[in-house]
Amino acid sequence: MAKDQNNTVDQQEMQYKSGITRRDSLKLMMALAASALLPAALTGCDSAPVSKTDVGAGVAKASTEHWPDLKLSPITATGYGKDPNLILPPESPWPLTLTQAQLSLVAVLSDILVPREGSVPSASEVHVPAVVDEWVSAPYERQQEDRVTILSALAWIDDEAQMRFDNTFVALDKTQRKAIMDDIAYDIAETPAQFKRIATAFGRFRALVLAAFFCTPEGTKDIGYLGNVPIGGDYPGPTKEAYEHLDKVLADLGLTEYAYPIQA
Amino acid sequence: MKDFDFEVLVVGSGAGGSMAAYELTKAGHKVLMLEAGRDYNPKTETPMFKRNGEAPLMGAGNKDKDFGFYDATVDGGWQVPDEPYTAAENSEFLWWRSRMLGGRTNHWGRYSLRFSEHDFKGKSRDGLGADWPFDYDDIAPWYDKTEALVGVCGTNTGLDDMPPSSDGILQPPPKPRITELLIAAAANKLGIPSAPMHRAVLTRPLDSRAACFYATPCGHGCSIGAAFQTTTSLIPMARATGNLQVITDAMVKSVDTDENGKVTGVSYVDKKTATVHQLKAKVVILAASACESARLLLNSKSTRFPNGLANSSGQVGKNLMDSTGANIGAMVPALQGRPAYNEDGHTANHLFIPWWGHKAQERKELDFPRGYHFEIGARFREPGAGIEGNVQGYGLELKRQVKHNYGAYVGFALRGEMVPNEFCYMDIDPEVKDKWGIPVARFHWKWSEHELKQVEHGLKTAQAIFAEMGVTLSELPTPEQAILKGGEIIHEVGTTRMGASPKDSVTNQWGQSWDCPNLFVMDGGVFASNPHKNCTLTIMTLAMRNSSWLSAQLKQGAI
Repeated sequence: MAKDQNNTVDQQEMQYKSGITRRDSLKLMMALAASALLPAALTGCDSAPVSKTDVGAGVAKASTEHWPDLKLSPITATGYGKDPNLILPPESPWPLTLTQAQLSLVAVLSDILVPREGSVPSASEVHVPAVVDEWVSAPYERQQEDRVTILSALAWIDDEAQMRFDNTFVALDKTQRKAIMDDIAYDIAETPAQFKRIATAFGRFRALVLAAFFCTPEGTKDIGYLGNVPIGGDYPGPTKEAYEHLDKVLADLGLTEYAYPIQA
Repeated sequence: MKDFDFEVLVVGSGAGGSMAAYELTKAGHKVLMLEAGRDYNPKTETPMFKRNGEAPLMGAGNKDKDFGFYDATVDGGWQVPDEPYTAAENSEFLWWRSRMLGGRTNHWGRYSLRFSEHDFKGKSRDGLGADWPFDYDDIAPWYDKTEALVGVCGTNTGLDDMPPSSDGILQPPPKPRITELLIAAAANKLGIPSAPMHRAVLTRPLDSRAACFYATPCGHGCSIGAAFQTTTSLIPMARATGNLQVITDAMVKSVDTDENGKVTGVSYVDKKTATVHQLKAKVVILAASACESARLLLNSKSTRFPNGLANSSGQVGKNLMDSTGANIGAMVPALQGRPAYNEDGHTANHLFIPWWGHKAQERKELDFPRGYHFEIGARFREPGAGIEGNVQGYGLELKRQVKHNYGAYVGFALRGEMVPNEFCYMDIDPEVKDKWGIPVARFHWKWSEHELKQVEHGLKTAQAIFAEMGVTLSELPTPEQAILKGGEIIHEVGTTRMGASPKDSVTNQWGQSWDCPNLFVMDGGVFASNPHKNCTLTIMTLAMRNSSWLSAQLKQGAI
């Protein structure tokens, strides 16, 4: 399951600059990799494990249950309003709130979730962390709920990294990162009790990263969406290959004789 | 409007108001239209082809843009700034408004199904609600005229829930999608038919409007005019006659009367200057949307009309109906990994499931009186802020799961007819006023057993269709859990219903108020019942028919 973790951000060396517009920051998001050199503490996000246990050096075992107690300053920005310009969407609809350390962690995690695949770029290469930042910084109810979930997950992951490996997650090596990922990336019936909560929270983060990736031109091409192109004349409908596949599906389900008539 | 000597004043620029303005200006009458929202130009403002990834939050909806960033609703949605509404205790109702030229026609679903004789005579059949004061045959020619003018694609199916259009009226529908063909086969095995949806989307050019090019969601609005909205069709066509003037940002606060009870005009707030203006008119047509028109009448009190204007029956605000709604969906493994192709089409249902239970209801085999249909949501969508299905893990295996699930999720949206009941109505909140000092609407709402049993039937039917597609839905929600909120389907109608008698209705069959002959209602408020088939086509058809009648009355000097 967990092969291909070539974290392209690890190889990048650009300085992250703050105070730039959303789309400028998109261009520079690759810089996040430099984060490994940044202070490990999460500034602006006062996190501390609730029940830290057995934090001995070199302990590489799964921890017991813990959860960060975040004290988040409220988002006070207003939204883009009920009559935004739809042709030229706002570049920076609200102030971004992730710290450099958080962005770095998001970048590393995003590329674990969506690594480069041949010519298809990784999540951070198409600036997914900027979308995550915009999302968790947005002054809307759903995004504010996600902010708590996702910032808690980020803090948990660093806490876990500290407890197991005495380092921040971004500073871990691939094997160490994988050990944590394999514990939290499956929100299923068999998930151990101490990882239930983080697995669910990480699942929300994963869904956001995936959506942000597949929304990019590269991701949209990768998923195989072929629409949003104007067609002259009538809608051509399914391809021959698609009809043939349907015929097989109908046969497998015993529905062939009930097929809807298709005009040639 | 000092230089414009208009005869008819129309309040509202949506489906009803624009059709009224079109019909009357074409017949030579000068019309002044008031719109509470801002001017709107779909040619320059429609985000054609814009991708979710280019929008904030990947286009996802929020309290500013409930249906997503690109939705063609201006200054509206479930809440309008500074213009609240309230709900009575234990009631919940959602009221969608827009504040823009063209109103909600800029973003509507464009589903355009005719009501049938069966629909118009529900009370005669089962004793519930009210009959409409005309027969299907009276309105059928007007459906033809409206469909021809609007441009509706679809076919005559011969099904009892879908009365036929005259030959040559409908434009050809687009080919069904793979997902719809699978659902149709599964439903067919259960004896449930599927049919091409009728939609107000051009598949052939019409006047200055282009045919659909099968790209960019209709909900964004349509700058080429293929997806019908009044801002690309009826309003410019009415303006071209030289007989229409429009004032935007004009929020009407009352319909004014003289000492004899005759309507003399309206008072409106110019939102830009926050000043009140009076306008005199020979005839006033309310088409502000069912609940805005009823609110306006209830707020137009005088010593002669202490309970509000046109309300001698006490029915203004009563009989509020929405469509029932419920959503049920699942991942269909048989569709996973299917071959990709461009499945946008006209971006909504090519096939749907019309109501098939007329005969069963005649035989008393069903425990609910009125029908429903299923709309189908299942296609290779443009990626947005969500992903389909439950995915786990990370890395390339995670990506593989997402791609495998892509286009394999099937959702059914039930849309059903509710029966009006005494607990569903609107009145005026005794305390709350909007920014303009106008008392606001207060809603009262409670679904009855009729709707809950209908939804229960729909859930079980969807479960059975899914079973034929190889999907087991082991646990269904209860109908109480599944039914959407009142107003949520945005088919609110009935608050100024038409009827055969001034005792129990607000207008006659022409939308003319019983109490004031020069006051008409031409929005969904006049509906005597709310068939499951989406209200806009019938709003427009009635507005055309009734404006034509009004024109004849004016020309005869009867009004």
